[in-house]
Amino acid sequence: MQEAMQITDEVQFLDASKVKVTRSAFEELIVKLPDGETHTSVEAVRTFPLTDSNKYIALLDSEGEELGIIQDIKQLSRNSEKVLASELQKRYFMPKITKIHALEGQFGVTRWDVETNRGPVQFGLRTRYDVVTLDSGRVFIKDADGNRYEIENYHRLDATSFALLETQM
Amino acid sequence: MHGMRPGSSVRREFFRKSPSNGHPAFEKQADEELTTMEEMPEELENRAQALLANGEEIKVAISTDLQFDGTYGKDWVIATDKRLIAFNQNSTPQHQLREISLSSVEAVEIVEMHGNNILKVRMPENAVEVARYSRRVSPKFDLATPELATLVSEANPNAEQEAPHRPQGSGKNKDKCETCGHPIPRWSGVCVNCVEKRKLIFRLIRYAYPFWHVAAPALALMMLIRFVSLYPTYLSKEVVDNVLVPAERAVVGATVTQTGAEIPPPTWGHLSGIVDGIAEWMTLPVAGSWGHLVTLILLMVGFNFFTMSASAVRGYMMAWVGQNITRRLRNETYEHLNALSLDFYNDRDTGNLMSRITEDVARLRDFIANGLQDLIGDSLTLIFICALMFNENWRLALWTLIPLPCLIFFTIFFGQKMSKVFSVLWKRYADISSILASTIPGVRVVKAFARERYEINRFSEQTYQVFQGEMNAAKLWTLYRPIMEFIIFSGSILIWLVGGSQIFGGALTLGQLMMFHGLMGRFFRPVYTLCQMNERFIRAATSADRVFEIMDTPPSVADRKEAVELSNIRGAVEFKDVYFSYDTEKNALNGISFGAEPGEMIGLVGHSGAGKSTLINLITRFYDPNEGTIKIDGHDTQQVKLKALRQQIGVVLQDPFLFQGSIADNIGYSKPGASRHEIIAAAKAANAHNFIVKFPDGYDTMVGERGTRVSGGERQRISIARAILKNPRILILDEATSSVDTETESNIQEALERLVRGRTVFAIAHRLSTLKYADRLVVLKNGKIDEIGTHEELLAKEGTYASLCEKQTELSKIRAW
Repeated sequence: MQEAMQITDEVQFLDASKVKVTRSAFEELIVKLPDGETHTSVEAVRTFPLTDSNKYIALLDSEGEELGIIQDIKQLSRNSEKVLASELQKRYFMPKITKIHALEGQFGVTRWDVETNRGPVQFGLRTRYDVVTLDSGRVFIKDADGNRYEIENYHRLDATSFALLETQM
Repeated sequence: MHGMRPGSSVRREFFRKSPSNGHPAFEKQADEELTTMEEMPEELENRAQALLANGEEIKVAISTDLQFDGTYGKDWVIATDKRLIAFNQNSTPQHQLREISLSSVEAVEIVEMHGNNILKVRMPENAVEVARYSRRVSPKFDLATPELATLVSEANPNAEQEAPHRPQGSGKNKDKCETCGHPIPRWSGVCVNCVEKRKLIFRLIRYAYPFWHVAAPALALMMLIRFVSLYPTYLSKEVVDNVLVPAERAVVGATVTQTGAEIPPPTWGHLSGIVDGIAEWMTLPVAGSWGHLVTLILLMVGFNFFTMSASAVRGYMMAWVGQNITRRLRNETYEHLNALSLDFYNDRDTGNLMSRITEDVARLRDFIANGLQDLIGDSLTLIFICALMFNENWRLALWTLIPLPCLIFFTIFFGQKMSKVFSVLWKRYADISSILASTIPGVRVVKAFARERYEINRFSEQTYQVFQGEMNAAKLWTLYRPIMEFIIFSGSILIWLVGGSQIFGGALTLGQLMMFHGLMGRFFRPVYTLCQMNERFIRAATSADRVFEIMDTPPSVADRKEAVELSNIRGAVEFKDVYFSYDTEKNALNGISFGAEPGEMIGLVGHSGAGKSTLINLITRFYDPNEGTIKIDGHDTQQVKLKALRQQIGVVLQDPFLFQGSIADNIGYSKPGASRHEIIAAAKAANAHNFIVKFPDGYDTMVGERGTRVSGGERQRISIARAILKNPRILILDEATSSVDTETESNIQEALERLVRGRTVFAIAHRLSTLKYADRLVVLKNGKIDEIGTHEELLAKEGTYASLCEKQTELSKIRAW
């Protein structure tokens, strides 16, 4: 009788300390893998972009084939981490909403006037289902154009913002 | 009478059996006791006994409910260990007893037909039909047939040994009430005839009990409000009689006679002391008319203010109680719903169950929080009003109450008409929805066959039905309002007439007349609500029954008391003589016996309806077998804790279900607390990782009804990841690859190959290629094992499997072109 599979054997993470990430003159990532192979124009993808943004980063080659997964970018060398972190910062744009000035509309179609950590912005939503709340109090918002916003913890919003947000949850 | 058909006399006889009093059509038909030894009529017994030899004993005596010509009536089948006697009263010229020697019988059979069955006895040369019966008594015959077969095999050793095997007590007949035999409405699942209203209401009140510390004060407050709210009407009498009239007289008297008319000293009625006190405190002139008036008006305002604010407080309190009851009822119902077994869900549709938890519970809340309070409050109000009236002037009070019976009659009359009209209307609206629900998703078919006009006409016909229904309702409404208003008006006319004449006689004051008018105006609402109470009561009771039915149904598959845990199993599964039937009519499994070694992959093959899925449902214990046992590592599954059992089993279904939530949540569903590492690993093993990473939100992508659309093959791979993560010893693949295209199938195949390693696997597949890794194949046919063996063995056998294979190869050739 064969032994049943050991589930965690199914994925091998990259040995991050031996991975080198640099940026090319074309503003693309160059990754040197532990086996010494070097790949240009590598794409870095967050596998858990919403819930764990700096862990389990998948590196894809120019063909979209996965080179491997880095479990935690902190395992990388200082320089590589910096490059990868800035690349991810660029790739994923999701402002954090700190204050809601106004929120109006009906039937789920709403206009928001908010303050974010990247400055003030106004946007519109197509349905109320584009507001997703996690148990922890985090809220993800996707606007009509496909832009994303988050609220780290809606319980910590000021009373006015909270009252406005509550109408959408 | 002429032209009477010969059959009609028999039919009349049938009807005569029902009691002539009451409703013959709804005669209570309690379930006859299931016995194979019924009491025979004396005459029949004597005739039968005469045929028997000495010491011969009657072993079976059962009656039918049909005769051979298809009319209702009682025939009998009697059996001893030597002979079978069929009593057939329908045959001419006279009631006939047919005798069959058991030693000549080869087999006893039940021939199942449309709506009725026939019991047949097969002999070497011929066969005799001995009884014809409807489905109502078929349980009895199912019970008797094996007994007959036993008697036959004792008398005739050459007889066919295998009796028609029918499991007993399987499935419940939910079309008819078990206690009264009344048909049960499909939408409700509750016998309308048997709802014990009073009991249910008491049970409901128990749900309010934990909140009595709020409910009781609210009730007390309500009584106070009802009482106090009548006081301004009483005060108005004081204003007229003791302030306005004397004042007017004084003014008129002064102008007419120019002499100071005497102003009677003010009387304050019941509140004399208080009013004097307040007036004194406010330094208002007690005897002065103006101050008196202001004081009384202030009192009115005060009472009114109290009533309003107290009502608000009471309303909030009752809302709290009501919502708490709702929440508790909903949670308890849902909890029990989760405990219930699959057979419960099979009998009922989702919408029905959902509406019980949402609508019925809300209706119950309304009844407990508002209905019961209204009952008490309105009764009290009526009593208060009557008391006030009779206290003032009992003659006039009697006159005032004359329109009351009319009021009650019309309210009830219209109420009943209205509920009929509205239930029809409700049904018609539902029909509109069902037209929409079928044509909107089916729009491609409608357009493809150019049937738009037909659908539009159908819809228009339905909207016309609704229009008519609404107009019927409007007819009632528009009639109802004026009639009610007229009745109330006639009451006030009576007050004017009788009260006026009493004023002439000096028996009544103007203030009292005013007060009667005021009270009359307050009479209507309580009477109305009380008249509606009965209907509210019935509705609440029905709702309560629907909710309590869920709570009272015991799960058919539940942990036994002595159930044991199951840990670290090897995965050996053994079926032994397993019989199972979803209903009482047809066996889904007919004596299945085979074993699977640990780590063995068993492919289940057969036509649809052969019992493949049923077999799997029994392994997971979604159902328990009616007979026989299923053992896992030697443990009878029925003796094992459900949770422990299901922890060892992983399932991948044909149409995988994704819950509302992220992909990571959905994969982790099978293993609470699974790490991200494990989730990614499981997804990789299931060939799901690559497409998941391509979603912008990766593993955080929301899926489910409102989430990102995920294709069938992707859903399937997520559900395989779910099964892989659980790492079960026993794995079930129910058509895991049938709904995807060939390329995705090979992707999934690859994942499955990894998944099945080292586990006991039961796989169902229509595409036999899916089963190429199976160690053994079990071919099922009509709930029995037809063939069993490896692919090569079965091909060599040239049986069912071989022919199935051949057909599929031919098909795939065609496909390849």
